[in-house]
Amino acid sequence: MSRANQLYHRSVVWLLLLILLLPLLGTLLYSLATSWSATILPSGLTLKWYGALWSDARFLTAFAQSLLVCAGALLLAVLLILPLLFVVHYHFPRLDGLMNLLILLPFAVPPVVSSVGLLQLYGSGPLAMVGTPWILLGCYFSLSLPFIYRAISNNLQAIHLHDLMDAAQLLGASPLQAALQVILPNLRKGLMVSLFLSFSFLFGEFVFANLLVGTRFETLQVYLNNMRNSSGHFNSALVISYFSFVVLCTWAASRLNKDRT
Amino acid sequence: MSYLSIRGLNKQYAATPVFRDINCEINRGEFVTLLGPSGCGKSTLLRCIAGLTAVDGGQIVLDGQDLLPLSPQKRGIGMVFQSYALFPNLTVAENVAFGLRMQKVARDECRQRVEDILALVELSAHADRYPHQLSGGQCQRVALARSLVTRPRLLLLDEPLSALDARIRKHLREQIRSIQQELGLTTLFVTHDQEEALILSDRIVLMNAGQIVQSGSAETLYTEPANAFAASFIGNYNLLDAEQASRLLQRPQPRQIAIRPEAISLQAEGSLRGIVQGHSLLGNVIRYRVQAHGVDLLVDVLNRSADDLLPAGSAVNLNIDPTAIREVA
Repeated sequence: MSRANQLYHRSVVWLLLLILLLPLLGTLLYSLATSWSATILPSGLTLKWYGALWSDARFLTAFAQSLLVCAGALLLAVLLILPLLFVVHYHFPRLDGLMNLLILLPFAVPPVVSSVGLLQLYGSGPLAMVGTPWILLGCYFSLSLPFIYRAISNNLQAIHLHDLMDAAQLLGASPLQAALQVILPNLRKGLMVSLFLSFSFLFGEFVFANLLVGTRFETLQVYLNNMRNSSGHFNSALVISYFSFVVLCTWAASRLNKDRT
Repeated sequence: MSYLSIRGLNKQYAATPVFRDINCEINRGEFVTLLGPSGCGKSTLLRCIAGLTAVDGGQIVLDGQDLLPLSPQKRGIGMVFQSYALFPNLTVAENVAFGLRMQKVARDECRQRVEDILALVELSAHADRYPHQLSGGQCQRVALARSLVTRPRLLLLDEPLSALDARIRKHLREQIRSIQQELGLTTLFVTHDQEEALILSDRIVLMNAGQIVQSGSAETLYTEPANAFAASFIGNYNLLDAEQASRLLQRPQPRQIAIRPEAISLQAEGSLRGIVQGHSLLGNVIRYRVQAHGVDLLVDVLNRSADDLLPAGSAVNLNIDPTAIREVA
């Protein structure tokens, strides 16, 4: 590649990055400004908005509740999906195609549409869960399935599942021992990566949280929405805090991915 | 009575039989090779003996004990796979120790046995490495050590050398043979490579399409093929049908015959005239394609000197060792 060509490619990438980062940089600056209205640059820098945010009990509750719902949904997903995946791959490999189709369903229906259906189903009757965190748990569970299923499925295909199981059993392990001591440790990386990815995704989920539960069990995104009329500096601090948290999670996920040899 | 005896073993997948009525006896300490083309049922037979695949009928008796009711964990059989099947999350030493851990062997004894067996396969220096840090040959030696450390009653090797390159394959097959003889292990080795089978085995069991074609020593299989399949699979026999044979030998031949290419010699004088069609150099042997009486023959000649090489079109006289002409069914 010629130098001019390389320069062109580089400048396009940097320009794109700049365009993407500009709003974030603006938000970051705004969250650090004492006030910023009629001037080009803010009049002073302060951390007081972050201080106010991180001492706001309502924010902390929303943050904790978001964490709780996401962690709960992911825990449920792992407990159900891991044994299922193992059984599908070990005993019924033909079901993999069907599972791949099923697993995409949560993404085939737009959240706004499916939440209307969920409201109808769980609004009343024996399973009246609308307005409680339980419905969110179930909903997030199904949203995380594609990430977790695909990642672990790839991981399972990368190891010689049948040979490893056979080898372990010939060495005296029971099928359960073989699954727990040989197969499970080798799925750790795929599992961690998919968990971090779906966590970042679920942590920023708004539509389901707002429509199904709303303020009765405020998650971070719903809180952000409810605070839209308060100080812009305060909201910017909130957005930056949220963003940093998700970046941290994504970074952790990619670090784990890189370790894979 | 033999150590391992397989009687009337049947296996089928859905309606397709994998093998039918397999009978085989193996003595203690014997190295037996199951040889056959891919898909002939030899690997499935091995998996049935290990208990990894269920059989549909028959009997497998090891050292007087009926194996079929036992789960693979309880059969006391070691197995090495073509894909190595090492546990990627464990180090070499931990991989080898896995079987002992499952048997709840005391820690000190376990460490000692792992050390000894790693020394035997010459991998002591790599005990703390992970499988992905090893070469293919080293991986397979770890797999061998892992299956030997539990002192199995029977060792099964499922094409253990097929994934390795030629030089390592040669070295490892010698190592396998010498370890087997040192430990006096009864071993069943599956391969589709006739050279491996001829070099390693006390006895070769030749399989085709789910049936045992011939069983015997390397010499027997090589010099006395039981039928046309055996002749075509082992060595590079010239297989001639009755009509071709009659034409070549100038006398009526009722059945097809097989002639080893090294049993034909090229001479200055002789009754059978032929024309060299071409040759391929196999290293120490030159394999000529010669046409005589309209029949194409392969003739192997020791490669003594490059000056003696006969160009295509040369007229030669052939001499066929009459004792080497075998009628095959």
